[in-house]
Amino acid sequence: MYTIGILQLTQNLDDAVHGFKAELTERGIHAEFHYFNADGNIDQLAKLANQLAEKKVDLIFACSTPAASAAVKLTQDIPVVFTPVFDPIGANLVLSMAEPGGKATGVAGMVKADDKLNFMERILPTIQKIGVLYHTEDSNAIVEVANFRKLNNPKVQFIEIPIKEAEDLSNLLDLLPSDLEALFLPIGKVIEDNFATIVYYTDTLEIPIIASHAPNVPDGALAGLVANHYQLGKECAVKAMQILKGASPSQIPVDTVKAPEIWLNQFTAENLGISFSEDLKEEATEVFE
Amino acid sequence: MLLTRDSVELLAPVGTWDVLEAAIEAGANAVYLGGKRFNMRMFKTTANFDDATLGKAIEYAHRHNVALHVTVNNLISDRELDNMRSYLKLLDELKPDALIVQDLSILQLAREINLSVPLHASIMMNTHNEHAVRALQGYGISRVVVNREMSLSQLSLLKERTGIEVEYFIHGDMCISHSGQCVQSGVVFGQSSNRGRCLKPCRWPYQLVDAATGLPIDDQAPGPYKLAMKDMCLYMKLPELIQAGVTSFKIEGRMRTADFVSGIVKTYRKAIDRYIADPMGYTPDLQDWENLQNTRSRDFSTCYALGNPGATAIGYSGKREPRFFSQAVREADMATLAKRSHPNPTNKPFDPTLSVHVADLASLIAACQNGANTIYIGGEVAKPGIPWTLQTMVQAVEEAGKYDAKVIITTPRITMERECGELEQFFSSLPKINPHGLMVGNLGALTLAQQHSTLPLQAEFSFNVFNHVTAQLLKNNNVKKATISLEATYEQIMQLVENSPLPLEFIVHGSLPAMITDHSIPEAVLTNQYQSDYDPALDTTRYALLDTAGQQHPIMVDQYGRSNLLFAKDLCLLPHLYSLRTVQNYRIEGQYYTPELVGLVTKIYREELDKIVAEQSAYHFDAGQLERIAAASPRELGIGTFRYRLSK
Repeated sequence: MYTIGILQLTQNLDDAVHGFKAELTERGIHAEFHYFNADGNIDQLAKLANQLAEKKVDLIFACSTPAASAAVKLTQDIPVVFTPVFDPIGANLVLSMAEPGGKATGVAGMVKADDKLNFMERILPTIQKIGVLYHTEDSNAIVEVANFRKLNNPKVQFIEIPIKEAEDLSNLLDLLPSDLEALFLPIGKVIEDNFATIVYYTDTLEIPIIASHAPNVPDGALAGLVANHYQLGKECAVKAMQILKGASPSQIPVDTVKAPEIWLNQFTAENLGISFSEDLKEEATEVFE
Repeated sequence: MLLTRDSVELLAPVGTWDVLEAAIEAGANAVYLGGKRFNMRMFKTTANFDDATLGKAIEYAHRHNVALHVTVNNLISDRELDNMRSYLKLLDELKPDALIVQDLSILQLAREINLSVPLHASIMMNTHNEHAVRALQGYGISRVVVNREMSLSQLSLLKERTGIEVEYFIHGDMCISHSGQCVQSGVVFGQSSNRGRCLKPCRWPYQLVDAATGLPIDDQAPGPYKLAMKDMCLYMKLPELIQAGVTSFKIEGRMRTADFVSGIVKTYRKAIDRYIADPMGYTPDLQDWENLQNTRSRDFSTCYALGNPGATAIGYSGKREPRFFSQAVREADMATLAKRSHPNPTNKPFDPTLSVHVADLASLIAACQNGANTIYIGGEVAKPGIPWTLQTMVQAVEEAGKYDAKVIITTPRITMERECGELEQFFSSLPKINPHGLMVGNLGALTLAQQHSTLPLQAEFSFNVFNHVTAQLLKNNNVKKATISLEATYEQIMQLVENSPLPLEFIVHGSLPAMITDHSIPEAVLTNQYQSDYDPALDTTRYALLDTAGQQHPIMVDQYGRSNLLFAKDLCLLPHLYSLRTVQNYRIEGQYYTPELVGLVTKIYREELDKIVAEQSAYHFDAGQLERIAAASPRELGIGTFRYRLSK
């Protein structure tokens, strides 16, 4: 019987926890779980991590970058398995993806820029000019934008539209170039939270949005290629099991999202006069009417 | 009366199964939760209970001796009525302990199907006076979630006078506007806060400006979040709460985690039990208070429980705001594409009526001279305007009579104890005024008017008439005409009008309130938490809130000290009049206009209506008419809900 601590930033990531537990059960691992959720309150995480340490847990499953950082900062030598951390190296959780070198490993939740671009071209085959709206104070967004800068596709031009603070979105209409064909939203809390304001304006201009945050798709984005948190949790369980059986996290490579899901919004598509191909709809995990 | 452990019900919010178990384990006497279909938390797809799980949840709760209330507290549109009927039948079989309802139509539907489950009036019904409670009791409502603006002493009195069970929010997230009376999210985003989709425009940053000059005013607020209500917490006032006779202590937070809900429930459980066991020896547990503080999201306030809290209930800095749901947007203007289908050809004769709401005699005369059939006077008047007196009302009826126009007297939208007392007194003077009718703003005012007057009654937009069954209910209560909800879109209006057994009126033009707050927004930020002396500027200056999209929202502070926060743009549906032919009854909200503008707007709408009557299908809208109104208007014009096909 193992004791596993779960450190959660918000309940929005609970699917990862469900996947984690289900996979452990599937693999015959019996554990007692201590689940702590900071309910969005980042300042609480250090205290909650300490409480898990006091319970002498064998391992901590940490959801989100701040939760993983809090768990790794514990002085006790408790292994950490994390997800859906986007930049494990930048967040100082691991030394490299192949050889983490410390007490943490996990599955990074960022869908590859390559995959996202291919997805955009698949949905909008003639696309040439895509806006990238991101929050300059968001470390995850900065990582993703940097990845997009490295892409080398002569057909598609990315126009960066940085905003410094959420209120800048109030005047988004003035920031969007008039010949934009689509707007891509990298991951980032401010952009995701205030999606209603973004789609309010893009609707006026009839510009489709490609989202990175799954809930933005039913709320009016055209489509999204997103990580399945349940799946991430399951993959983390495999790593957790290895650790519980004696392997060192320092030697277990960090994986990235393997099979991102396609989410489509049929209602938005109809409003924009766009049609999804049949094979795309078939492949999609969710199609919102 | 002696207290027992059953004197008080601790009512916990539940969004998922694990929260249900945790809340019961922590000591809740009752829980409330929503189905997947109709309730006020519609954003999270993973939360709430599907039909099968609802049954299991009820069984689970009952097995643990815990009551379960199901929230069915959305406004519903005509196209959702069938689904609502079948949902009510299902709930009748599942037998939860109560349904918490908002839409008046559900009272009617419950009668039709002989619903056996008790009904509770949701906070969204904005019940705030004894007369409304009596009307609701007539429909079998056994409990009322009284509105957040009522103090403990007011609700004690309410309970004593009516015998109703009182449920009160004691902890959690609060609205700044009177519940059910905020249409900002619904009109601007097409996502209604009365239908569980609020995008929280009250959490935007705003700057206070002088409405006349647009210049910022140096206020004392420590930040720009002028409408950001703090979280309610009555932990330290538990004895007052229990002695006030509140039956059910309601904790807010149906989207919260099991840990969070469990922690709050345990804290209150312990305190309630300790108090009831030994009231004289009770003191609050300071360790528990500290825990509440440590795990809070926003700062705490006792809100209105102990009286109007003014600035003390607002979290101006925004520092502890857990998340934002939107940022300010530029409201739809006249160039925005209107989402309306081509109207069905109608054979009904077109015999339009035009009503105009005015603030003074000069405006009344201007409206009459330019072709208004009905004039609305009375009700709230914005400072520095002067309320209608008995004398000016007599004059109004006289003047309107010269033009063969009717005068209908409106009553305030919110009528708490003070206003109800004033209304009763006023109704006794009606024979002296001899108006053509009364327009009431809430169920309590309707009840009072029925008792004290034989005049024809109309229902104001604050009744949120969103479907024809609500119209039927009002008709059954002797209402002769009702106003369509401010949030309805073209398609929803058409369906409603087609099915309504009651004549309906639709507001096509004017400055409309997005929210109504019980405190004066400028007074709160200018006078340092109500501590300074009276500042005469507050009675002579008009203020506005400037949002981050650069728009000014006028604040109309009325004679009761409430703030009617207007949309930044005035509604104008002049170009769409032809497609609104089946509506027949049109209104201009002109009480914030000068007499000259009232005259001009009335004249142009009258001309267009007359042209439609004369030319019928050959009618062609003259854009020059719109330009004339736009040039004279104090604010930009916009198409409001017509930006959307359906209000979600």
